[in-house]
Amino acid sequence: MMTFALAFAILILVLALGIWFAAVLDGVFSRQLSGHGTAGLLAPFHASAVYLTQQRLRTEAPDQLNWFLSIAGYLSVAAIGLAVVPFGPDLAVIGLDTSVVFWGACESLIVVLVFLHGWSPNAPLSLIGAYRYVAIGLPIMLPSMFVLIAVAIPAQSLDLRDIVASQESVWNVIRQPLGLPLFLLLGLSLTLRGPFDYADSDDLAGGTSAEDSGANRAGWQVARLAMLVGFSAVASTAFLGGYLGPVLPGFVWVIIKTLVVMAIVIGLSHLLVRLPVARMLGLIWKILLPISFLDLLWAGLVALA
Amino acid sequence: MGRIGGTGMTDLLFYALSALAIWSGWRVFRVDSMIRATFALMVSFTSVGGIAVLMAADYIGVATVFMMAVEMMVMGLFMVMFMMNPAGLNPMQMVHQYKFSIAAGVLGFVGLATAVLLTNFPDNPLPENRDTLRDLGIELLGGSMLIFETAGVTLLATMVGAVALSSRRGRFGDSDAGAAPPGLHPGGEPAGRKVEKGGGHGGHGGHGGHKMNMEKTKQDSSDDPHKGHGNMSETEA
Repeated sequence: MMTFALAFAILILVLALGIWFAAVLDGVFSRQLSGHGTAGLLAPFHASAVYLTQQRLRTEAPDQLNWFLSIAGYLSVAAIGLAVVPFGPDLAVIGLDTSVVFWGACESLIVVLVFLHGWSPNAPLSLIGAYRYVAIGLPIMLPSMFVLIAVAIPAQSLDLRDIVASQESVWNVIRQPLGLPLFLLLGLSLTLRGPFDYADSDDLAGGTSAEDSGANRAGWQVARLAMLVGFSAVASTAFLGGYLGPVLPGFVWVIIKTLVVMAIVIGLSHLLVRLPVARMLGLIWKILLPISFLDLLWAGLVALA
Repeated sequence: MGRIGGTGMTDLLFYALSALAIWSGWRVFRVDSMIRATFALMVSFTSVGGIAVLMAADYIGVATVFMMAVEMMVMGLFMVMFMMNPAGLNPMQMVHQYKFSIAAGVLGFVGLATAVLLTNFPDNPLPENRDTLRDLGIELLGGSMLIFETAGVTLLATMVGAVALSSRRGRFGDSDAGAAPPGLHPGGEPAGRKVEKGGGHGGHGGHGGHKMNMEKTKQDSSDDPHKGHGNMSETEA
């Protein structure tokens, strides 16, 4: 019970810190690259204060229940992703033997939740964002599944705790060099960012969140940042050795690595450009998927050798 | 599933998840939209997956959630596409064939309930830290794990290849040849206005370049009446 309480406290800390850090970093990047937006340590708080004091608008005949559930669900799935991450040798909030598959289930629920978020307002732009996102969000999950299976092979386990333990000698980012880059692309898709932002992009005036206002908008933006934190924690656990590291306690290493992955994802989202849907589909099915096959084959051969 | 807590907690979760599974299953037939019905069904399956996790069948439970989320997403999308109900947003009647479906439902319920009541369930609790995942893998695949894994990846690659090869040639010509509208009658000329070949100024409001290019298209169709569709990009170029 003590370890659970400790793990839960660390989870809340990582989530809060991560969301704030991600928001600040996002501001810095967009300020530097485009000159828009406000960069500053307090900027996220100002933005959320503005959202929370704004009036909430309604669309015509929306599905209020699903609209609310999609925002709450997206935030919860982000927290669940963080909960399967071990902060120490036996310090995970959800200690499950199949935590990698559990994270996979979260990934597939994310596509459903983002779709519902765009479908529920009953408005054209958000609906286009929803359908477009499904077309990209589903196929990009396939390479990520193969990458995660490849990570499980050297650990001979689907448990993230065992996967961290298996990286004692060498991290997976070195042992399986194709894994992390592919997984980062999935992260861009799960957090609706940059080149994979087919849901909430500017060309659709905000896409699925075009009709969000007031507290709902604040909730959705916080959920997106929380998803970034959850994804980055999983990525750093699966590929960067998680809590492994000298001197400092394990959970500090998780936080450091999570922040590094987060910075990389935010950087990629600001630097890469979004392709048309058809070309992106071709890229995913014809190039990224075969590369993930190679990654799996590589992992298998290394395990047999 | 000792990690969840005492028996009381597990029992409570079991009843909550069962109630959610039944309620959302009932909602599938009461809502007026395909998207809502689809995701109500997904919630029902997800609850059943949660019950499986409670029963220490971690992998089966989690895999159920995983499969159902993807499956229902694809199903909902395809239903909307084939039903011509714009975006699945128009209210529609989701149930039909009342007498047949009521009979089938009653029969199915009675049959399954009988099966549940007559089955002798084993009563040998597993030790606390039994690795059910490994047991399941050995039970399902035995020594052919590697063959199965290889076959799985090969099948997926084959499917992607088949779709890539077959999807190039579409109803209105090759997908990379540019778009042309369908004909006004079967096998006929593509509908719509054609731009004169070599019209030069390309834009609207130029030198009246948008004359119907009848001679050119007539020649095309006299060559081969069936190839009209695929050739439009040439005429338009």
